[in-house]
Amino acid sequence: MANQPVLPAPPRRAGPDHLPALLLGSVFVIATCGLIYELIAGTLASYLLGDSVTQFSTIIGAYLFSMGIGSWLSRFLDGQLLKWFIRLEIMVGLVGGISAPLLFVLFEYVSSFRLILYTLVGLTGILVGLEIPLLMRILENRFEFKDLVSRVFTFDYIGALLASLIFPLVLVPQLGLVRTSLFFGALNVAVAAVLLLRFEETRSFRRSFLGVVAASLLFLGAGFVYAERIQVYTETLAFQDQVIYSKSTPYQRIVLTKNSRELRLFLNGNLQFSSSDEYRYHEALVHPAMQALPRARRVLVLGGGDGLAVRELLRYPQLQQIHLVDLDPGMTELFRRNEMLVALNQRALLHPKVQVINGDAYQWVRQDTTRYDLLVVDFPDPSNYSIGKLYSTSFYQELHKLLAPGGLMVVQSTSPYVARRSFWCITHTLQASGFHTIPYHLYVPSFGEWGYVLAGRNGHWRPDAGPLPKGLRYVTPQSIRQMLVFPPDMAELPTDINQLNNQALVRYFEEDWGPYTH
Amino acid sequence: MSKEGNAYGNFASGRREFISRTGLALTGLMLSPALLHSCAPAASLAHIKGGMRGADFSLGHLLRQPGKLPAPTRTERAEVLIIGGGITGLSAKRWLQRSGLSDVVLLELENHVGGNAASGQNAVSAYPWGAHYLPIPDVRNRELLAFLQEANVITGYSADGLPIYNEYHLCHDPEERLYINGHWQQGLVPEFGVPDADRQQIARFLALVEELRHAKGTDGLDAFAIPLDRSSADEQFRQLDAITFAEYLGREGFSSPYLRWFLAYSCRDDYGATPEQVSAWAGLHYFAARKGRAHNAEQADVLTWPEGNGYLVEQLRRQTTQGIRPNTLAYQLRETATGVEVLTYDGTTKQTTRFEARKVLLATPHFVTQRLLAGLADAPQLTPAPHHAPWVIANLTVDGLPQGPGQPLCWDNVLYNSQSVGYISATHQQVTQPIGPQVITLYWPLSHPDANAARREAYQTSYNDWLQRVVAELETAHPGITPRIQHAEVWVWGHGMVAPTPGYLWGSNRQAAAQPLRNKLYFAHTDLSGISIFEEAFYQGIRAATEMLLPA
Repeated sequence: MANQPVLPAPPRRAGPDHLPALLLGSVFVIATCGLIYELIAGTLASYLLGDSVTQFSTIIGAYLFSMGIGSWLSRFLDGQLLKWFIRLEIMVGLVGGISAPLLFVLFEYVSSFRLILYTLVGLTGILVGLEIPLLMRILENRFEFKDLVSRVFTFDYIGALLASLIFPLVLVPQLGLVRTSLFFGALNVAVAAVLLLRFEETRSFRRSFLGVVAASLLFLGAGFVYAERIQVYTETLAFQDQVIYSKSTPYQRIVLTKNSRELRLFLNGNLQFSSSDEYRYHEALVHPAMQALPRARRVLVLGGGDGLAVRELLRYPQLQQIHLVDLDPGMTELFRRNEMLVALNQRALLHPKVQVINGDAYQWVRQDTTRYDLLVVDFPDPSNYSIGKLYSTSFYQELHKLLAPGGLMVVQSTSPYVARRSFWCITHTLQASGFHTIPYHLYVPSFGEWGYVLAGRNGHWRPDAGPLPKGLRYVTPQSIRQMLVFPPDMAELPTDINQLNNQALVRYFEEDWGPYTH
Repeated sequence: MSKEGNAYGNFASGRREFISRTGLALTGLMLSPALLHSCAPAASLAHIKGGMRGADFSLGHLLRQPGKLPAPTRTERAEVLIIGGGITGLSAKRWLQRSGLSDVVLLELENHVGGNAASGQNAVSAYPWGAHYLPIPDVRNRELLAFLQEANVITGYSADGLPIYNEYHLCHDPEERLYINGHWQQGLVPEFGVPDADRQQIARFLALVEELRHAKGTDGLDAFAIPLDRSSADEQFRQLDAITFAEYLGREGFSSPYLRWFLAYSCRDDYGATPEQVSAWAGLHYFAARKGRAHNAEQADVLTWPEGNGYLVEQLRRQTTQGIRPNTLAYQLRETATGVEVLTYDGTTKQTTRFEARKVLLATPHFVTQRLLAGLADAPQLTPAPHHAPWVIANLTVDGLPQGPGQPLCWDNVLYNSQSVGYISATHQQVTQPIGPQVITLYWPLSHPDANAARREAYQTSYNDWLQRVVAELETAHPGITPRIQHAEVWVWGHGMVAPTPGYLWGSNRQAAAQPLRNKLYFAHTDLSGISIFEEAFYQGIRAATEMLLPA
């Protein structure tokens, strides 16, 4: 025999040789692990990059091709094959195990995300591809060739079946992607550990390898515990969909979730938009005002760091300058960098007419001396006293000074159905601040009935004043007229004026939304 | 962007967040140093930077040994010399200037004017070192309204003649909260966990003071007014000055511990003294004299600024820039044929100047006036002598205020049954979104029956000891705040403010002591009011200035 037998031919101990069974058992485990890594990569890619058919298809292709490379590379491994195999298991465990957490963490640096994704997929594929050929060579003296091929592949495919069933049914719902990844990484390392302990000939390197195995298990185990904490921390459990991005800035917690149909953005747990119907919200925010301002040149957007209102504004070529003031650079950066989000806002925040200012809106409007033709006020709902100040007479009086003659302002004004008093309180506060007001509303499926107030220095606004841009999906002259109608269950009712020294709005808002929190 | 989100998904998470936060808060509470005090070592305060701040005594104490000061090297003249740059002195100077008298020099011992309305500033915010708010005034207080309009605090008047206040200066909502029975409740009148019988007593008391707010004496004047000299002389009200507030409350059957705490808090907050120390008239005045009305504010609303009444000081100072001499001690007065000669020592140049003035206004606390006029037979005497409680004020920069359930941070934050009278949030009036650290100002009157003993103890207490007391106080309502305190400064006011002890307001020679002497010496100070509030100081200054302007 040309090759030195790796395993001692006759077993020294009496009784059946159980080592081949052990190795075949590990085929089962590694086959399961291998397919799990592939599924994790595919799922993550479709979560994070969208278009699941393409993502799954290319990930599977790349993974299988990498396995081919691994199989080919296996011929270059000689010498102590079992040692190689154990080494390989540890490496697969580590690379596969950390793949999901690594991809989640790195998603923010999205310019190189695909590169990282396919590098990881390739590396895992190569390592997994090495496993079976190597194992068959280790077992070649134990079985006849036909038995060997038959047994190895049987276990391989059974493992694959198991993986494909437990992944969607048990693992993702119970463990989540991150912990599934870490758990199977640990299984791979455990295979290495069992082989180390059960095979006599590993004695020479057992000690040092066991050290590595222990360190790897500890690392993955720590990751497992930490991942759980991260998942609690990222509020993954609070969202019905997969959380694909979460970050705490000094100002707020930004979370993006995704399912097959839509992308959702949450700030401090509050839904900001769903990609499936945000066009309704943003068209209604911008176009009723803009269609009446054919000569508008300058616009100030307060809040709206997602750039979606700016996207609508950019449909009007007459605009020369758009200032967007958003408190949180974390928000505006995300919507300038992330591929998926940049596609959603159509690169609005990168447009040369758009100047993004990260600062406090109240401070900004007190210092700004520009006169604007349109002010778009798109703040979070008045759910606390700090935000309530951005809906006060004092604030609106500052905005009044920034408005060009004939200019308009539009204010997102929460739900006139759920928070009826809040909505009318905003309207009355604008009136008390010297504005003529035109309240309107529409139905946004992910929010429900939603309201806005148009405010101007005079009452000259008309719903059909000028042409609307092409390609709108909701706003038409007819739908604008519909939006002006308030049925009895949302009709105007008397309220206090929201002032800094009474914060009437925050109190209304708490009471209005209160029943929905219980 | 916007929106609270749809009714289904998001409020569920809001609720979850609420439950988990409550859970956290409860856990935090159970693990708090307060409860684990016995087994846990006291949290280290070593990370907290800062030190003692306060009035500079070195110059003031020279008044005790005027013989050590150098002989005058130069002579200056002024029509009027004002000694003391507190609100009273500034108000007098402003009034003289408005009346066309500009040859006025004001001497201030400290390097800044403002007296008890001192303030400071750090990288986070301005903050008060003393007086820090002004209730919206009675519309009949025309002089004060005019000043507030000049200061852009009043922006105009509504059609019905009510002042319209600058909303940036009105205290923003939410104004007050009280930490009681482990919970932050809205407002300072105890409610949370208060038994019905106590609530009834509290309601009865509040109804009583509401009645007194509208009450008038037989002379047609308000029973309780600000300035208090405009109050009715009717005996049925003035007799209340002869007994202590505590006696009065006992007599009227106000025994509820919750009510008694609230009234004790109120007296300590306004007078630095307890209901056992102040007169019943004064105790009731606190509640019944506030009659402010405004177009855009309620009767109970107050005006406040990050730097407290330092804002008003600055407005007064701006109107009277010329002729203010800080760091200057007046240490000897002598009447001459044409006026008064005053020796003054400049702490910066270390030189003595002889001032020759036609008239001198002593806008100084009574104990300083007494020293300056020590050789004068008819120098004003106040009996009973004014009682000044010492105060301790701490300004802390914190990067968070961990708290249990209830009302979020307000402007005024008071702890039930505690030694301090709570803290205010200096950053409360900011309109920007709160990011990063904030400044809170804790007020602590040392309401000891023996003010001198309390003063001595206060001066002898070290910074570290004050810091420990302040932190322990805050930890009761904000478990875990210690590591979040970045900076703490402590100021001891030896003579915080005058306390209206029984007989002081209406039974004494208070008004006689304010009478000018020989058209040369004039007197104005809140010691001569008996109640140390901005309105009284402002009024005292105008009263004395008016007296000076009268033809001889």
